[in-house]
Amino acid sequence: MAQNQRRFNVTNHQIPIPTLHQSTTNSTGTDTGTSTRASKTASSSDLSILTRFHAGYFRISLALCSQALLWKTLAEPTTDARALSSIVRTIPSFAFILLWSIALLTLLLLCLLYLVRCFLRFRSVRAELAHHVGMNYLFAPWISFLMLLQATPFLQPDNRLYRILWCAFSVPIVVLDVKIYGQWFTQGKRFLSMVANPTSQITVIGNLVGAHVAAQMGWKESAVCMFSLGITHYLVLFVTLYQRFLGSDSLPAMLRPVFFLFIAAPSTASLAWDSISSSFDTGCKMLFFLSLFLFASLVSRPALFKRSMRRFSVAWWAYSFPLTILALAATEYAQDVKGVIPNVLMLVLSVLSVVVTLALMVFTALKTNDILPHDDPFVCYNIARGTST
Amino acid sequence: MEQTELQVEIPSVLKQTSCQNIKGFDCVDYGNGNNPNPLENAISDKESYGESIAGSKITKLELQEVVIISLPASPSGLHIGQTKLVLHSEKCENTDQNDTKNPYPQLAKQKKFHSQPILVRENGDRKVVHSEAIRDHRFDPFKTWSGRLERQISNLRGKATQEPDIEAGASERDEIEEAPGVDRYFDALEGPELDTLRATEVSVLPEDEKWPFLLRFPVNAFGICLGVSSQAILWKTLNTSPAMSFLHISPMPNLILWWAALALILFVSFVYLLKIVFYFEAVKREYHHPVRVNFFFAPWIACMFMALAVPPSIAVNLRPFIWYILMTPIFILELKIYGQWMSGGQRRLSKVANPSNHLSIVGNFVGALLGANMGLKEGPIFFFAVGLAHYIVLFVTLYQRLPTNAALPKELHPVFFLFVAAPSVACMAWAKIQGDFDYAARIPYFIALFLYMSLAVRVNFFTGIRFSLAWWAYTFPMTGASIATIKYTMAVTNVVTRSLSVCLSAISTFTVSTLLVYTIVHAFVLRDLFPNDISIAITRKKPKFSKMLSHFRSSSADSKDFDSSISKNSEI
Repeated sequence: MAQNQRRFNVTNHQIPIPTLHQSTTNSTGTDTGTSTRASKTASSSDLSILTRFHAGYFRISLALCSQALLWKTLAEPTTDARALSSIVRTIPSFAFILLWSIALLTLLLLCLLYLVRCFLRFRSVRAELAHHVGMNYLFAPWISFLMLLQATPFLQPDNRLYRILWCAFSVPIVVLDVKIYGQWFTQGKRFLSMVANPTSQITVIGNLVGAHVAAQMGWKESAVCMFSLGITHYLVLFVTLYQRFLGSDSLPAMLRPVFFLFIAAPSTASLAWDSISSSFDTGCKMLFFLSLFLFASLVSRPALFKRSMRRFSVAWWAYSFPLTILALAATEYAQDVKGVIPNVLMLVLSVLSVVVTLALMVFTALKTNDILPHDDPFVCYNIARGTST
Repeated sequence: MEQTELQVEIPSVLKQTSCQNIKGFDCVDYGNGNNPNPLENAISDKESYGESIAGSKITKLELQEVVIISLPASPSGLHIGQTKLVLHSEKCENTDQNDTKNPYPQLAKQKKFHSQPILVRENGDRKVVHSEAIRDHRFDPFKTWSGRLERQISNLRGKATQEPDIEAGASERDEIEEAPGVDRYFDALEGPELDTLRATEVSVLPEDEKWPFLLRFPVNAFGICLGVSSQAILWKTLNTSPAMSFLHISPMPNLILWWAALALILFVSFVYLLKIVFYFEAVKREYHHPVRVNFFFAPWIACMFMALAVPPSIAVNLRPFIWYILMTPIFILELKIYGQWMSGGQRRLSKVANPSNHLSIVGNFVGALLGANMGLKEGPIFFFAVGLAHYIVLFVTLYQRLPTNAALPKELHPVFFLFVAAPSVACMAWAKIQGDFDYAARIPYFIALFLYMSLAVRVNFFTGIRFSLAWWAYTFPMTGASIATIKYTMAVTNVVTRSLSVCLSAISTFTVSTLLVYTIVHAFVLRDLFPNDISIAITRKKPKFSKMLSHFRSSSADSKDFDSSISKNSEI
């Protein structure tokens, strides 16, 4: 077992070390023997799904909730979306509610699964908290809830329930902030320079989304507080990620789609500052342009993503959320700066995000096998860490 | 006439010598000289060849000596040492060296030999210039399409071609075809500009000869354009800004400098364009060099300086399409280079960060400044945002002076002046975008001033450094700081700021003039303004081939020994 634990085969998006359930260890840990191993693990109970489930699945909820928000924003009367508005307004409001409900159901299902996993597989959850990629995805359910709250057609922002829900969703974010940001500069094994990777930007996005919703509710101070938390750590993280220390090179090739998070963070910051300062001023524009530039930079490098595109996996869902947030920011930009180019930009980006999300849904429906996990990514990692020290 | 005779004779000679005349030569019947074992044929029987040729030709041509050329046929390795000597007749009127080099073009083509440059020992007074032949082939891999372009062009011009399809040897060709990885540049070179070869490394090209001019013309030469055009901006600002009107500067210096800068840009661009056309491989290597790649931004920045410095008598308002044209190449280059920082495995920022990267950042700010001058709104903000974000990253990285960073010089060097460039141009750009010199513009201005001061008080550390063409690129930050000070004076006018403006402008003008004197001295008196550009001639791999290369060098040294009076071409 010891020699297997030391072999990190990074072709899979998990760290594919033989699971505890397998007595005959397939030491390569690749997914090539999926049928045989799936049959082996299928023989164990359904609880093994819980073991293999991880917080990365919340990417799906992130994508769907942000889509709901995008549709809501496009349908707003203030949006001057010439070509889009005619399409968007013909779609009955029933469709928006349907989309919102689907997003809510998906999110609730995933949360339920994760809760059950917490109770029954607590060791896995602890291992996940310790993992440099997994710990960031603990922010994802709260971000999804906040976006759903923003997109809800049932509540208005000045409603009391709305505010209570905001508090309920933001407090976990702040708690996680204290834990993870504190680790960055105090804890021995988890310095920022060692653990920084593109998924760390989800922590920043969490703060910024909280600030965005708070500003829309009218709570300016809380909004500015969360915004400053987010933007400061974003600055530090941006520099660190660009420097690409050797220690931070631990992202497996299958997880390359998370590079799109580089686009999401400045766009979210732009949206947040827009709602705090009530106008799309120069700072917002600069953040939006930065994310546009990063989008162009990533899109012009298809070779970076080639390896991860060979097999469908839940990591592909990482493409959708950043594109949607970029489209949202483009919508705000077009509202403020009237003109042909901003509108075209908004049109193109919105269409792109819708197409990508639809494609991902189709893929998920067709390849459900692939999306379910095959390995327990965290337990054995924990054991490996425990025994290797 | 004799040449054609020679050529016509050759097949028959071969046929004659094929099986009958050469003793001990094992061959099957071949009609056209298809030799199954060309090497044997070539090496072992040259004397026989000589005899037979002598026998057949001497009577016809009445030569006193015989032309013997043998073609060692091995396609690999470097073969100067293996080439055979050729006796050349005094009386032979064959002045065209091309033919003597390959009297058997048909043979060469059929055998697909890699024919070698053949040395000619000169007899008597005739000096045969063959060093150019050697140099030609050695520099071929750096040329566009390995020299085939040049041969095409000389074909078109009616010159007789040299050997077709010459290859300098398969291994050397492999060495040069692909540009080295960035690790090689760091391993093989040292110095703040990564332009000095380490003692353990060898260069692919001979270090003791002067290379062709185009090969020695680095992309750093655009630094001169940067320096002169930024001076033009300075004198225009001195002339037009109302806060400096007490100096009564006339528009003449601006006009003169602008035309001088224009001429320089045209000249340097033209020469570099020639280099791209004729020595594309060398340009590719420069592009892969971690310091030189930043100078590829320099032509566009220089053009933008020209647009900023345009004298009011020539044009007042420039069209926006100029801005789009100039920013497009910068945008494309940026996408490539910043993307590499973020995602490129070998070229990550923590490894390749060096002060010359500031040139790529400054391009953004200059573009923002020019766009704002022209009245554009969104484009300048776009480039300002991109430049600011990446400037923060670069600034932090360079300040950290990471131990993994191989490129940062330990000692002080004029390249550090590039630190001053980005904040000074950024403050001007922001002031123009916002409309006035507000606090957000003053902060970068004060940072620029601080960096300038901390370098200026250490000026005595700058002595004793070898002059290079890249120093011109380091003058434009000084000028930029002066211009920013003038803009600041326009916002905050008092004695202190005015004297600061005058002082800084004087320093920058003085520096540029000194540099001009140095350049002229090096160009015309010392004639070493363009030394051999070693940094593009590093080997792709650590020299395992060093033995072969040193053999190559010693052989070429041998060949020079017995060609003692070969005159070298006087290159530029």
